[in-house]
Amino acid sequence: MNNEEYREVGIDEFRDYCVSLNESGNFIFRLMFASDERRGEGCFKVYVVFSESGSDRFRIPFTRLAGDTLSYRSLTPDIPAAHWYEREIRDMFGLVPKGHPDLRRLVFHDSFPKDSHPLRKDWGVAASDLAEWGEGIAQKDPYEFMEVKGEGVYEIPVGPVHAGIIEPGHFRFSAVGETIFFLEPRLFYTHKGTEKLFERLGFAEGVRLAERVSGTSSFSHSVAYCMAVERMAGIEIPEKAKAVRTLVLELERLYNHIGDIGNMCAGTGLAVGYAKGALIKEWLMQLNERVSGSRYLRGINRIGGVTQDVLSHADDLLTTVNLATSEYKDLMKMLLGAVSHVERLENTGRLSKDIAVKLGVTGVAARASGVNDDIRKAHPHLLYDRLEFEPHTTTKGDVFARMMVRAEEAECSVSMINTLLERNYGRDLAVEVKDMPPHACALGYTETPRGSVFYWVKSDAEGKPLRVKLRSPSFCNWPAVPFAVHGNIVPDFPLCNKSFNLSYSGCDM
Amino acid sequence: MIKEILRNLIGKKQVIHFPEGFSTSPEHTALILDLQRKVDAVFGRSLRIRQVDAGSCNACEWECTALTNPVYDIQRFGIDFVASPRHADALLVTGPVSRQMERALRKTYLATPEPRLVIACGDCAVNGGIYRGSYAVADGVANVMPVDCSIPGCPPSPAVIAAGILRLLEKLTRRE
Repeated sequence: MNNEEYREVGIDEFRDYCVSLNESGNFIFRLMFASDERRGEGCFKVYVVFSESGSDRFRIPFTRLAGDTLSYRSLTPDIPAAHWYEREIRDMFGLVPKGHPDLRRLVFHDSFPKDSHPLRKDWGVAASDLAEWGEGIAQKDPYEFMEVKGEGVYEIPVGPVHAGIIEPGHFRFSAVGETIFFLEPRLFYTHKGTEKLFERLGFAEGVRLAERVSGTSSFSHSVAYCMAVERMAGIEIPEKAKAVRTLVLELERLYNHIGDIGNMCAGTGLAVGYAKGALIKEWLMQLNERVSGSRYLRGINRIGGVTQDVLSHADDLLTTVNLATSEYKDLMKMLLGAVSHVERLENTGRLSKDIAVKLGVTGVAARASGVNDDIRKAHPHLLYDRLEFEPHTTTKGDVFARMMVRAEEAECSVSMINTLLERNYGRDLAVEVKDMPPHACALGYTETPRGSVFYWVKSDAEGKPLRVKLRSPSFCNWPAVPFAVHGNIVPDFPLCNKSFNLSYSGCDM
Repeated sequence: MIKEILRNLIGKKQVIHFPEGFSTSPEHTALILDLQRKVDAVFGRSLRIRQVDAGSCNACEWECTALTNPVYDIQRFGIDFVASPRHADALLVTGPVSRQMERALRKTYLATPEPRLVIACGDCAVNGGIYRGSYAVADGVANVMPVDCSIPGCPPSPAVIAAGILRLLEKLTRRE
């Protein structure tokens, strides 16, 4: 069952080891994080998680940082995907990546105290500091935006409060005429201290928090979290729970993909398509409520299984999903026949495969750029090894490609839901959960509608959470957005942004 | 597309399906009609709302967006979400108010013309919800600005948000 291979590497060889894994071509960089284990082992640890390509195994090298040497050689110059992770670790733990090309703060804004690192176990902060942080006026560690110089270059600052009903983030465009020359996103406005909160809540209560990390991926986040805790505690969940989780994951993917396709129409001003997409999404949301009691599929998961038998609503599921599918096929036919719509999507917001691989882009965005990566296939979990499906990839990497990947995956989800409902599973919904083991750790993962999500949990001596690391797909994909919009016109930015459909809350944590 | 519209017109196909217990149950119909009357009376058929995300998980935003979809279509009652606080009668704030959004939220509040109303939408906005006590949040909108109406729920469904707006309007008519 255990497919994680931890390997301790000395601090001097750590960078070389990781770089050689990455360059061998047999390993895919997934995530990187630190944990404060000074109480038990007298050191900080930095972990990097790689997937072995072609087999269901993880290679997890880690190194210890102790005493005064709170720095390590940066991986970013050789593995660009590590860029944000290393900055995040610096902000949250104060561990410095030496040789990192960009050491500005990532998570915290200017008025957060300097040299204050919330995920350290001995961290404390004065109430006055928190008040000043909220006021946002004191420039304790000013952030310098990158500046593009040259004749005719001007800047457009946008946000954090945007015109639509969307999440907050600041975008600074450097434009020449209408063309975007450079875009620098400044995110983390919705940083809520989620990882620290996980440590306080305890493992069982953490499920509720995982459901509230990113609204439209509520279920996939809670699946990944539960899976991590269950693997850590050596719990094997019943067949029925696996079936329910697989089915609901696909249900979540379906409503998201159809909603996203409809939403892209808002970006091109195609009101009919937008309304129709919103309507089909609403049907599916109401189905969610009928089968689970929550429009966002919350409250289904618990550690050890599920709380309710969603499969008992098989008739309703089949009728509504198939009705939604036939309406959705009409919608796609209409969209693909609307020349003015398709024209806006083609060749807009192109993300090259090279950039996508280097930055470790995941999910729909990666597959639309020709990266054949889907956690459901790469690391089969739940019942995915028994379902037939192929990851859909196209090579163009533009907005149209992202729409088509969604369209094909939505149909694939429908057929999976149908297959899952044909079979019979046992009766048990969940197993009893005893105390959590001390000093244990494990990964949990799944494919959200946006891409792969990872949770890594570790327990302390009393079996309480020592560290919960969450990595949402949006955290990997945000750094790629500036590359995709480069050379596009400013009015196409909302369209590009919608085609990625990234979560701010999931990224900011 | 035109074919589609014609087909719907000729076939009198009911495109809009109301959620169960929304249009069918009498109290909800009364609620919506009531809402319309209140908006007409207080705001002359024009209540403009500016939604501000102050650190929500995005579920509340989607429920606000859903209010404008063909099922709920809240615009038919004269209520709409606008692009700028300058155009707004009310702010609808979601999320526990993350510290990094606090300043932007205050500025949005100040940019809204008086008399401005504030609606705290969702458990997080009401009291911090599950994020209550985290170092990075202000535990609810009321700690940052005066709140006129609270809509609990995680997230409150579109119908519940509509009912919350109605409660606010009722309060206003009583005040007058």
